[in-house]
Parts: sequence; structure tokens; C-alpha cells
Amino acid sequence: MIRAYLHILLFFFASMLFYSCEEEFVPEINSLPPEIVVEGYIEAGDAPTSPFVILTRSIPFFNEINLNAIDGFFVRDAVITVSTDNQTVQLEEFCLDELDPIQRGIAAELFGFDLDSTDINFCVYIDPTFSMIGEVGKQYDLNIEVEGKTITASTTLPAKSNVTDYTFFDTPGEPSDTLRELRVTLADEPNEANFYRYFTSENEEGMLAPFNSVLNDLFFDGDEFQFPLPKAEQADVEFNFESFGFYRVGDTIDVKFCSIDEAHYDFWSTLEFNRANQGPFSSYTAISYNIEGGLGIWGGYTASITRLVVE
Amino acid sequence: MMLRFFISSFLLVLLSSPMLAQKFTLSGYVEDANTGETLIGVNVFDQNNTIQGTTTNVYGFYSLTLPQGEYEIKFSYLGFQDVVKKIDLNKNITLNFSMSSGVTMEEVVVLGEEKDKNVNSTEMGTVALPVDKIKKLPALLGEVDILKTLQLLPGVLSAGEGTAGFYVRGGGPDQNLVLLDEAVVYNSGHLLGFFSVFNADAIKNTTLIKGGIPANYGGRLSSVVDVQMKDGNNKKFGVTGGVGLIASRLTLEGPIKKEESSFIVSGRRTYAFEIARPAINKTDFAGTSYFFYDLNAKVNYKLSEKDRIFFSGYFGRDVLNYQSNLRDIRFNMPYGNTTATARWNHIFSEKLFLNTSLVYNDYEFSFEGGQSDFSVGLKSGVRDYNTKLDFEYYPNARNKIKFGLNYTYHRLTPNVTNATSGDIEFSNDLEPKYAHETAIYVLNDYKVSKKLSVNYGLRLSAFTQVGPFTSSISGETYDNLEPVKTYTGIEPRVFAKYTLDETSSLKGGVSVTNQYIHLVSNSNSTLPIDVWVPSSERVAPQRGVQYAIGYFKNLKNNDYETSIELYYKDLENQIDYGENYINDVAVEVEEEFVFGDGRSYGMELFLKKNSGKLNGWIGYTLAKTDRIFPDINDGEVFPATYDRRHDLSVVANYEFNDKWEFGGTFVYGTGNTFTPVKSLFFVEQSINVEYGNRNSARLEAYHRLDLALTFNPKNDQKEKQFKSSFTASVYNVYNRRNTFFTYNTFETNFDAGTAQAKAFKVSLFPIIPSITWNFKWNQK
Repeated sequence: MIRAYLHILLFFFASMLFYSCEEEFVPEINSLPPEIVVEGYIEAGDAPTSPFVILTRSIPFFNEINLNAIDGFFVRDAVITVSTDNQTVQLEEFCLDELDPIQRGIAAELFGFDLDSTDINFCVYIDPTFSMIGEVGKQYDLNIEVEGKTITASTTLPAKSNVTDYTFFDTPGEPSDTLRELRVTLADEPNEANFYRYFTSENEEGMLAPFNSVLNDLFFDGDEFQFPLPKAEQADVEFNFESFGFYRVGDTIDVKFCSIDEAHYDFWSTLEFNRANQGPFSSYTAISYNIEGGLGIWGGYTASITRLVVE
Repeated sequence: MMLRFFISSFLLVLLSSPMLAQKFTLSGYVEDANTGETLIGVNVFDQNNTIQGTTTNVYGFYSLTLPQGEYEIKFSYLGFQDVVKKIDLNKNITLNFSMSSGVTMEEVVVLGEEKDKNVNSTEMGTVALPVDKIKKLPALLGEVDILKTLQLLPGVLSAGEGTAGFYVRGGGPDQNLVLLDEAVVYNSGHLLGFFSVFNADAIKNTTLIKGGIPANYGGRLSSVVDVQMKDGNNKKFGVTGGVGLIASRLTLEGPIKKEESSFIVSGRRTYAFEIARPAINKTDFAGTSYFFYDLNAKVNYKLSEKDRIFFSGYFGRDVLNYQSNLRDIRFNMPYGNTTATARWNHIFSEKLFLNTSLVYNDYEFSFEGGQSDFSVGLKSGVRDYNTKLDFEYYPNARNKIKFGLNYTYHRLTPNVTNATSGDIEFSNDLEPKYAHETAIYVLNDYKVSKKLSVNYGLRLSAFTQVGPFTSSISGETYDNLEPVKTYTGIEPRVFAKYTLDETSSLKGGVSVTNQYIHLVSNSNSTLPIDVWVPSSERVAPQRGVQYAIGYFKNLKNNDYETSIELYYKDLENQIDYGENYINDVAVEVEEEFVFGDGRSYGMELFLKKNSGKLNGWIGYTLAKTDRIFPDINDGEVFPATYDRRHDLSVVANYEFNDKWEFGGTFVYGTGNTFTPVKSLFFVEQSINVEYGNRNSARLEAYHRLDLALTFNPKNDQKEKQFKSSFTASVYNVYNRRNTFFTYNTFETNFDAGTAQAKAFKVSLFPIIPSITWNFKWNQK
């Protein structure tokens, strides 16, 4: 956090006295073989789901990336199982171009796609029977056999977070007629390490994670307190300092506030730190994966979902 | 075994001296006749038998014991007239001596050393930098900076573009002991390190020891930068100052009681933002400001012929206030050092000199910020109480013995963070840590024969973390001053010089060093937010062994000095952040540390031209620095952040005439290491970065030319009370865009299956001209 302020200082220093100059360059492209990237989730809580996994490959640093042109960006023909207690399910692979209209409708809802504008042949492994649904307190083990490799991971579904209140406030600084700040009140469970991640959705446009989506309770173990919950922005929306993180009056907002386990937290916290901290004040941060044998995340969420109208 | 060798050799020296013929001692202080400032490192020797000689210590004191007889004793010091005194030594003689400067000033010398001192002394990798020589060199924004000048010496690397931070012979940024009048300066940089805290107007002398650190210094592995403040003119009042583009300086000095006591007060403050303030105040950032300032002060009294006392202090702060009114975001970030030193020089006898120091130093960083009713406060720092006894004993002309003890009580404050949200307060519950650091040392500079000299010494050090403390490993709690963890170190240091002929010598040495407090940074250079941590149950002391050999040769009657030095350094218990470090203020930094080893080896070439209209030096370093950490890079060896294969500095001064002087520096260095992107991957439909091996890529080479032109309008009138000069400086003359850092941007349209990845390199300082006006006024 403090590093962000140092950037401000550097920015001021540079802009007051000099101009700092930047130019684009082409980094050296290495020819390392791609790695398999796992992105899989299972969810308990207000809207429990069965597990799903997306398998892709890492790609080299190219300026222009066209995933459709990358041979085998989606990893096919994997044997994926998820196990908990005495239950094991095998996931089945579905790709968009293989789905009938009803299945496409379900997929669109599940993954938040606008199918009319989707050019990519998106593939996902799901439990077609929906027989395994995330349950609080259980551990879920993922096993993937693909291309001669075994990839494994485990995640747990912690108890639901205790969110006691959501309230909209006037924006800090200059008030606005059209924008509001959302604050959440969280009653943290004392004497245990808790980890949280949240998402927001505007007018049912799909859940998005904000820039800083995770927090731990090292600082506030056992406290009940209120803090702002900035809105997640669409990736293609240009940054606007004036409206950033605020909610538009009249919109319908869904907030998904999740409990996650420590390894799941570590993944997002390192990933977000990695994204935000480039430049002179920090060297690289390696992302902490909970996957053995590949990159990515196998994450469990216990969600509490609340619908709010911005007033 | 080793210990026994040291003890018996010292006993031999002490016992052998009275058995020889009747001897007497010539002793006293040497000072500048003009200002009364004591002179450091003046050669005092028997003109007819130069082995019988000594040099003045950092307080200007010398002592020379010789057999009864008549001598022609020569006093020689750079930039001063040599003086020969006929002495009939048939009793102990006290001779306080003033030397005059001026006459030989056409021989402008850039780095001050005595004739053949580099060849004759046992010192290795030691350079003294008198400040007036530094002022003629080009400087970023005209701010003369001793730490940046040190970076122009072989073996010393700049930590980055424009920064005062430096790395010595493959050591980390925390491995340099920076002393200001014996007080440790824990953060030597202003403005994220772009300027050092040393105001050149208040500085008398700077000594860098990068090679053989003698046993009287300890606590750091790689180097000592020993800065002495001026004492103040004890003959007449004077005012010195300068006006530059971003800062101005003013120094007042003069006698309190003529020739007995004097004072100096020196201040510096920046105003670049003040100039911009009207413009800033018209924006949303009204109220934002930044400045830094320094204040140095010193007084000294000669209590008697045998007693002198000095009080000196430094206070400096960087103050940043940030305000963004639109969304009510604000923060203040003041930080800086405070030091205070009280010293008492006492001469017990002609042969025994004692300096007693009481030192206080404090580095404090704080941050307070927030938005509406949320606020965050953070504090960190180091506070030391230090006492030192340093004896110098001159039993005879061949031995110079130093011994002493040093005790420091440390208080190290980690990132103590408090936050409030309305009425609710949070804290990360971190507490300061406390420690005792103690050392005793003895060393002897022994002239074995005309050809061979040996400087051998031993330092025994101990460090104890004490309570109050609660162990995060065992849960045990410790009361006030109750020992938590103790470490000790045996640190032998041996350096030898063998004279090949009058103008050349071979030198070699081994030194063992221990370091008990540490600072780890995950940025290119250290930042004010980086936290010093003690050795503790989690963190073991850093240890280093350095081996060095060198060949020193002077040419053309000392016009040219040349040297080649080779070194190999073994570093144990080096510290770094783990690969997944995310700078969470709720977690103590020690818990994020990983430990490993390092090594560094290299060759340094140095060619210096001392006199003539054109003078200066060329320094070249060929070096390699590696680290190996079980938890980094899968345990594979990787280059240190400060690994630089080639590093070249060219420094030149040219005096056209009395009025015009030219200065130039050129630097070239292999590009800095960085950790490259290995691959990209998608999660939640956006691009993320997987990094390759640590420090496995390099930026392109760094090079830069700076020039300066100094104009002295009325230099012909030497005795003028008021003198002034203009120095025009151009930084980065050919506008080289040296990369300061790189970053990547990504744009994804996952639905379309397309993405763009771009890599940018950012350079900081383009060509920057500046002008500084310096002036000096002296009472008649």
C-alpha cells in the first residue's frame, strides 16, 4: 500500500522537475514449453455449485495474442476427477461449438458470457450430473491426468462469512448526485485465521472481482467493523479517478462476499500484488499456486450473496 | 590458536619497546593555519629515514617516538606547503603545528592523498575525498553529493539512476556503515535516495574503506563511509553558501573564543515544490507539498593542552504532504535522521591518546494517511545509544596500536501500523525490538622492516536481543532487558604491505566481518519504508570474509598513481524476501525472509593523475556477484541484483586558467539485472504474468556523460573577503535514455480470443542543465 504512495511521490518528482520518458520494447521471447494452467472452482453458501475446471496453456509474451490461433490453447481430453469424503465425480469436457442451444444458455449463465459476441471456442470440464455440490467444511481434491502428466490440488470450503450490513454513503471528498460509496460491516470470527474475497455485479451483468479482491483478518481478528467495498470495474472500462470504485444511483447491485481458505487467498493476494507492483519499487513477486504440477488455482468459495439497489 | 597469536604479538610489542635505547616522543596536533581546522592524515616523518614516521589521526593528533637525537621532521599534506622542522629530541616534546595552504594551489589534485601514501600505507581499498575537490565535478541539479562521487570509484556501484545509494564489492545496500561524526546514519538518502543527506558545505572529509576494514570498525560487511563534519573556523568568522535550482545552502562558522573554541552551523533546504505551489494550488492537488532540509551544527572547545571536546549534531527531514481534494485522499510522510555526538579527546601522555564518544542516532519513518473517516498510520525506525572508547597508543615509531570498546543499545521499530475506521481502532500489534551490541578490538600497524608492514587486529563482537519480547516461535515472553538470543563473532583482520621499490608495493589482506542488524529491500534501491531488523531467533547475523591483494605503483614522481586490486568475498546468512513476498504490513518482515549465501569476486583498476592542469582518474571494475538461496530459484545460483560485470568511471578536471575550470564524468556499466517474464496465462479471463528465473535478464548497458564548467569571476584577488563562483552543470549531456525500470501492460478481449501485451521501459532523467552560485565570505 505504502509503495503506491511512493509511486505518487516519484510521479510528482518526475513531473515537476523533468519529464520521464517511456518507450515500448520487445522482450526476448523464450522458447520454453508451455505449462498447463488450471482454473477450477467449487462453491458452497447461498448459491452452491458443482465443480468445474478450465484447462489452458501458458503462452509466450507476444505483443498480439490471438487465442484462436494458438494451437491447443484449451487443453483437451483430460481425465479430471474431484473427490470429497466418499464421493468422487469425473468431470466431462464441453466446448461451446459442441453445445446445443439449451446447453449454451446454461453455459452463458454459468460463465457470464455474451454468446453472440464470443468468437473463442471456450472449453470447460463440468460435472454433468451435478451430483457433487459444494458443502461447507469439506475438502475437495482435484486430480487431473493429461498428456502423461498428473496435476493435483486441494481446497476447502470454510464457514460462511458473517456480513451484518451493507450501507451506501455519499462519496468522500466532493459529494456527487449520481455516485455512492458502498460500505460493508463484517463480524470477523475471533481466534481463527479468516480469508475473504468479494465480487460485485451491476444490473446482473455478471460477477467481477475488483483490483484488490482479497483480505485477511490479521489486522482485525474478531472485530466487527465497517469498511468500503469498491465496485469491480469491467476490464475494458477506462480508469476514471472521479467515479472509480463507486456505484451509480439506481443500479441493482449483487455483492458476493466469500470465505476462502489460506492457499486460495495466497493465490489471489500474490496475483494481485504481482499485477499492481511493477516498476522501481519492488522486484517481482511470484504467484503462489495451490496446484501441484501446473499453474493456476483450484479454489473453493463459501459465498454470501446480497442484492442491493443503490440509493 | 588465532587468539593466542594475536595476544602474544601485542605483548611482544608492548614489552619490547622499553628494552631499546632511550627514546623520546614528539607529539601534538596539526591544523590549518588559516582556519584552525585540524588536519587528518598529515604525514609526519623523519626526512632522512622515512620509515620513522606517522600520520595524524582523525582528530589531527600525531605521536612519534624516536631514539634521542637530532631530526629533520617533515610535515607534508596535500595542498599545503611542506614544512621541515629541526628537532633536538632529548626530551618529550609537544609540538602543535599549523600548516599553510595556498602557494602550491596550481597543483590541483582531485583526490587528496599524500605522496606515495597509496604505496606506503598498509591500507587497501581506502580512499579519502576532500570536499572542495568534489565541488568542481558535475552534479545532478547542481546538488554536490559525496555519496555520488564515491560511486565513481572502482568497486563502488551506483544503486540506480541518479541515486545516492551504492553497493560495494558485491555487498548489499545495508552492508555499508555510513558514519557522520561517528553516528550511524541509517538512511543516507533524501527524496527516495536521489540526494544524500550530506550537505557538502558542512563536511570536512570523507573516507571510504571498501577493502580491508580495520578492527576499529565493525557491524557491517562491505564498507565504511566515515564522514567528518567541519569543526568550524576558530580564527575568524565566515559565511559560505550556495543557491541552486532546487535547494540553497548557508553555513556560518567562527570562533567562540579565538583559537580555543569554534562553531559551525550549516543548513540546506529544497524549494522546487514551493516554486510550483501556486500552480499546484490551482489543481485538485492543492495542499500537496514536498521538501527536505538538513541542519548540521558543531562546537568544539580546547579545554586544555590535553583535552578537547566536540559536540556535533545533524537533523534532517523529508516531508511529503499529499492531498487529493476531489476524493479527500490525504497523507503525510515525514522521515529522516537525527544524530548527536559528544566527544572528548584526552591525551594521557605523549604516547597515549583517547577519544571517548557518546552518540545518539535516530532514524524515523512515519506515514499517516486516509480518506474520509478511515485512516492509517505507520511508524518504523532505529534508535541507538552508543558509547565508544578508542585508545591510540604509539609505543615507538614502528608500532601504532589502537584498542577500544564500543557498546550500543538498539531499539528497532518494525512497521507498527494503526488504523481507524470511525471509532474502531486496529493495530498489527508489532512491538519494537531491543538489543545490546558490544565489541572490543585491538589492532597494531607494525612496520616490520623498511619493506614490510603489517596491520593486524582482532575484533570480538557480541549481540544480544533483549526483552520486552514475545517469541512468535515458542510463545515465550521476556521481561525488560532479559536476554532472548545472543550471537558472538571473532573477527580477525590482517593486512600486509611489501615494498618492491620506492614507487611500488604489493599489498594483501584478509578480513572477517559480522553484521547484526539488517535491512532488506525488494526494490532497486533502499527506500525510506524499508525496515532495519535485528539478529534474532529467526535471523542469524550476516558474516563475511574478504580476501584481497593489490599492486600499487606510482609513476612520474607521483604525477600518476596506479593500482590493481583483486578481491574475493564470501558472504554467509544473506537475507532476501521470499519469492511470494507481498508486503503485508500486518506481518513482521522477518517472517517473510529467506536466507542464503553469496559470493563476489572482481578486479579493480585505478589510474589517477594527481597534478597538472588536467587531472582526474579512471576506474574500472570487472566483477561477478552471485547468491544462492534454497528458497529462491529452486536453489539454483542466481546473479545478485547488484551484479555488474563491467563498471567504468572517468573523472576529469581541467583548469583553463584562474577563472575557468572544467569538470567531467563519464560512467559506463553493464545493465542491471531483472527478472523477466517467462510466460503469460489467463485466469478470470485476464492475463497474468509468470516470471522466469530471478535476475536472469539484463537491461541494456548504462552510460552517461556529465559536464561542468566553473567560473570564478575575481579569482585573481586571492585575499578578497568575498569570493563567489558559478558552476554550470549538465547531467546526461547526450540525453541517453538509460532504463530506470520496465513494466508491462495487457489488454484482453477474452470473448474475441484476442489480447495485447506491451512492454515498456522508462527512463528518468533526460539531459538536465543546472546552475549553482556558490559564495564565501570571511572576516578579515
